Order: sequence, then structure tokens, then C-alpha cells
Amino acid sequence: MDSSFELPDSTDWHATSLPLFEPLEAALRCEVCKEFYDNPVITSCSHTFCSICIRRCISTDGKCPTCRAACQSDKLLPNYAMREIVSKFQDARPKALELARKDKEVSDASSESKKRKLGDTDIEEEPARQTRSRQARTQSRRREGTNGMPIEVPDSEDDGDDSFEPEVEGHVKCPACKESMLDAQLWHHLDVCPGLENSAVGRSTRSSANNTYPKSLQSRPKEPSPAPTRLPGLNYAMMKQNALTKKLQDLGIPTWGKKDLLIRRHTEWMHLWNSNCDAVENRKSKRELLRELEVWEKTQGGSANIAEPKVMRKDFDGQAHASTHKSQFDGLIANAKRKREAAKAKKEEETNEDREKEEARLNEGIPQITEPEAIPQPVDVVHPYEGNEAALASVREKVEQANRVGTTLPSTTSPKPTLEETRIASQAYQGMPNPFGSPTRKVPMFALPADPIVDVEQSTTIQ
Amino acid sequence: MASSASKRLFKEYKGLSSDAPEGITAGPVTEDDMFLWEALIQGPEGTPFEGGVFPAELKFPKDYPLAPPSMRFLVDVWHPNVYPNGQVCISILHPPGDDPNHYEQASERWSPIQSVEKILISVMSMLAEPNDESPANVEAAKMWREKRADYEKVVRDNVRKSLGL
Repeated sequence: MDSSFELPDSTDWHATSLPLFEPLEAALRCEVCKEFYDNPVITSCSHTFCSICIRRCISTDGKCPTCRAACQSDKLLPNYAMREIVSKFQDARPKALELARKDKEVSDASSESKKRKLGDTDIEEEPARQTRSRQARTQSRRREGTNGMPIEVPDSEDDGDDSFEPEVEGHVKCPACKESMLDAQLWHHLDVCPGLENSAVGRSTRSSANNTYPKSLQSRPKEPSPAPTRLPGLNYAMMKQNALTKKLQDLGIPTWGKKDLLIRRHTEWMHLWNSNCDAVENRKSKRELLRELEVWEKTQGGSANIAEPKVMRKDFDGQAHASTHKSQFDGLIANAKRKREAAKAKKEEETNEDREKEEARLNEGIPQITEPEAIPQPVDVVHPYEGNEAALASVREKVEQANRVGTTLPSTTSPKPTLEETRIASQAYQGMPNPFGSPTRKVPMFALPADPIVDVEQSTTIQ
Repeated sequence: MASSASKRLFKEYKGLSSDAPEGITAGPVTEDDMFLWEALIQGPEGTPFEGGVFPAELKFPKDYPLAPPSMRFLVDVWHPNVYPNGQVCISILHPPGDDPNHYEQASERWSPIQSVEKILISVMSMLAEPNDESPANVEAAKMWREKRADYEKVVRDNVRKSLGL
């Protein structure tokens, strides 16, 4: 998730001296995913989207997201011009953005410097344009190659032909060094021809690069591994689960899950595969596509936010799971043990308190004295709820204290400090019934919430 | 690895936080979960909702933006197009595939090019101009149609209550 904080966005231009670049960049982004167009394709209604986005949209509702005209994924055509613009814009973006940001910082005031900087950026783009045309040429050549014949072999033969091409009319080749030249020159050349070895040195790069065997081997890895044939859609309704599983197996993608999941996985794979076919260069390998499918599986597919099925699966490694989460399990166990001990301690305390209570009753009649007091007092108190809340807060405090004391100290010593505190607290409330007047803690603590409520009702009935 | 849905949501969040339309604030509740947002909508001026601020929650599906989010007000909103439980019922939140109400035009419905911003703007205009054709809250719709003064009073009382007055 952290990486997403650096996601570039068209709003990056807001805080620069070129705010008008924001709509420009927005126009170069797909309206579905808000990313720069990736393998842009044009629909039959002339709207442009990323290949993968529009394929996903079409499979959900069969309509163009912009104009809602009916769309078919086999009518999509690559939008080469858009691809070119987007890739060149992306190349130019960081530098331009940096300049525009600096510009904004340096001069919010003088417009002149702004103009100069703008001029700079124009110059900056110049070399990019040059490289562009060169790249475009190489791309278009490659495109022809892939469009015409998907296999690399004839291409390398073409290269071989290239070196023969200079054989224009009137030219002949030197039998020794294979260099072509005019008829008349040849006789002169033969006298000085250094032979084959030397010529190889002289024209080293050309011949070795174009004609030798290793070159074709080198260029082969660049060839995209999936053959650029699109996957056809399947009529899922007509297929039984077994047939579908077989199909997925043939495609080399995971086959676990119910039929519904298989259908969704196959659909997603079809989108990934077919949009990859729209790519002209840098076509992804099947391994990359499988990784993307795995991401899909985790975020939207079968393993998205369902923890149990993973545990229930046959290949689930329980041992590994237990070892990786050992600290968590240990924590839980320790927690549970602590709770149980605390509960035990509390129980012991309670029994002690009961004993104390009985003793207290024998010694003095405090509970009997305080309770009659409590009844008339709330009539005098203007805000009984205020008092109530404060009292409740103090009760909570006592409970916490009791728990703390219960776990650390033997219970017999605890009543003394709490008694004092409660007395101080009760004095502060002025006229509130003293809930902790009795030497015990337990009884008033639970009796308290009931008493004021009864009082309030009485007071309201009086009024 | 973040899914394409959470990436897009993050972009929308970034856009909304850098320049949000007036009267609207929205963002994920926590940045760990991009699929649950909270939004604050100001009551449009010149309506009984004026002066109120209405919190709402937006839940996004995993395949967003292919499917629309759902939206629920977190306070009482007395409105023909808001269910008593706060669920907002407007056409932009309905997927184009099925039309449960059989009256909406496809052009008003959800499409992947819509966004959170557009939803919230639509909700704001919905507050100002209820659509009583297929009401989510029949009582409110009746009141709106027949006893407009009462309707406005209930709305104002709710606004006051939500502001703690």
C-alpha cells in the first residue's frame, strides 16, 4: 500500500506554474483506471481505453462506458497514435514537472522568468522529438515484421537479403571480400583486395551483426513468448465443470474452485491474454501474465478476503502456518491464562469481602445510617445525572483498582486506601449519597446505579 | 500488491483532497482499507437541508469501478430517495445491467467512468430536487408531494438534531 502514495496523478500539475497540463494529462489517461493508457484501443464508437479496461467493461455489460453504445471486444483496434503520445509524454513528464514545480517556487511574482522557463522546457523537448522519430521508425519496422509474419526466421533472412541488396545494376561483387562495386572498379580492386579476413575486420559491425548465427539467437529472446493469437470466448453455459477444468488446465492456469470461480478466472485470463496481444512491443511473458492473474486471485478472485477456504484446502501446510503465527498464538494463550487467573483472584477477593462485610455490620451501623440519608438528598440536588455520572466514574475507578489490587496484592490489605479515597470523593460531590460509606466495596459498587435512578423517579413524581 | 481497484480509489482520493468540489469532503476511513470511505455533504443552499452537514459512508466493491459503490447516510435524512436506514437510492448508484425500478434511463446509471466526486455531486442535487417517481421512503415522498411545509419542517428539525441544537 505504501507504494501507492507515490502514484503520479494529473493533479500533480495543480501546484505548478503549468496548471493547464492537468487537463492535458487527464486526457492521456484512461477514464476507467485513471492510469496512462496502456495498450490503448479504440472502440467501434471511437472511444479510447486501455485494452484490459475496456475488455473487462465489455465482459460485465457489453457497452462502452462513455456513450453506452454496444461494444464487442473483437472489434477493438489498437490506437497507435495515442500509444505514441502517451509514451512520449511519460518520458517528458518528470523533467517537465520538476521544472514547472521549481518555476512556481522561484517566481510566484515575476511573469517574465516564467516565460523564460517555458522557453527552456520547449528546448528541452526538442531532443525528445528527435529520438521519437528514430524510435518510431524502428517501431514501425518491427510492427511490420510482427504483423506480417509472427516468426523471427524470415526476418533474419530479410537481413541477409539486405546485405545483398546493394547489388544494383552494373555492380558486381568481389569474389574474395564480397564487397560490391562497379564493374570497372572490380579489376582494380582485385589487385589490392586484402581477402575475406581483412574485410571482416574492416566492416566488422555490419557483417557480424547482420549475418552471423548468434545474432538470430540474440534476437530470439526479444520475441514475445506467447504467440499473438487471441483466445476465443467460451460459451460457459454449455460447458460442464469438468470440461471447463480441462480447458483451464490446457491454458496452464489454476483449476481449483467452483464453476463460478472457474468462469471468472477464465474470463480474467482471457482479458489479460488478449490485451497483451494488443501490445506491440514489450509484450509480457506468460509468467508475468500468470503473476497478474495471481494478483487478481488475491484481490478479486477465489482467495480474496476468504481466510477459511485456504485453511480447509488439501494442500494447506498446517505446520508452517503454526510456526509462522507462533507468537500470535502464544500471545492469545498467555492472554487467556491471565484472564483466568484474574477471575480466580477476583473470586477469592469477593469471598474475603463478604467476610469483611459481615464484620463491618457487626461493628457499626453505617449502612443503615447512610441509606435513609440518601433518599431525601436527591431532591436538593439540582442535577442528579451529573452526580450520577461522577459517581459512576468513581465506581469504574474502584473496579479497576480492585482488579489491579486483586492481581498484585493479597486482598486483605486493599480495603484501607480505597476507603479513604472514597470518603474524599464523596465529600467532593457534596450531598450525594455516599456510595462507599460502608467499609466494603462490593455491595455499594453494584447497588449504586439502582439508587439514584429510583431517586430521580421520586423527584419527578414529586414535581 | 494493490489491486487496480484500490489504485484507482487512491487516485480519486488524491484528486478529491487536492481540489474537492464545494461542500463535499470524502476519503477512506483508514488508508489501510481503500474500500470504505466516509463522506461529508453540505446541505445545498436554498433548501431545507441548508446549514446541515450530512455524514455518509461509501462501500466499494472489489471490482470497482466496474460495479458502483453503495452509499448510506449516517444520520437521519428525511428524503424521498433515502431509505429509512440511510441507504441512498439514485440512478448513478445502480449498475446498468439490471433496472430494478424500470424507469431510469441507461444514461443516468453507473458506468466505470463515473467517480466518487460525481456521485457526491449527484447526491447533493438529489437533496435539492427529490425524485418522487420511485421513492425509497414512501412516507417522505407523500409528504413532499402533498404537505411540503411539513416535509420541510421535518427536514429542518433533523438538521438541527444532527447539529446537536
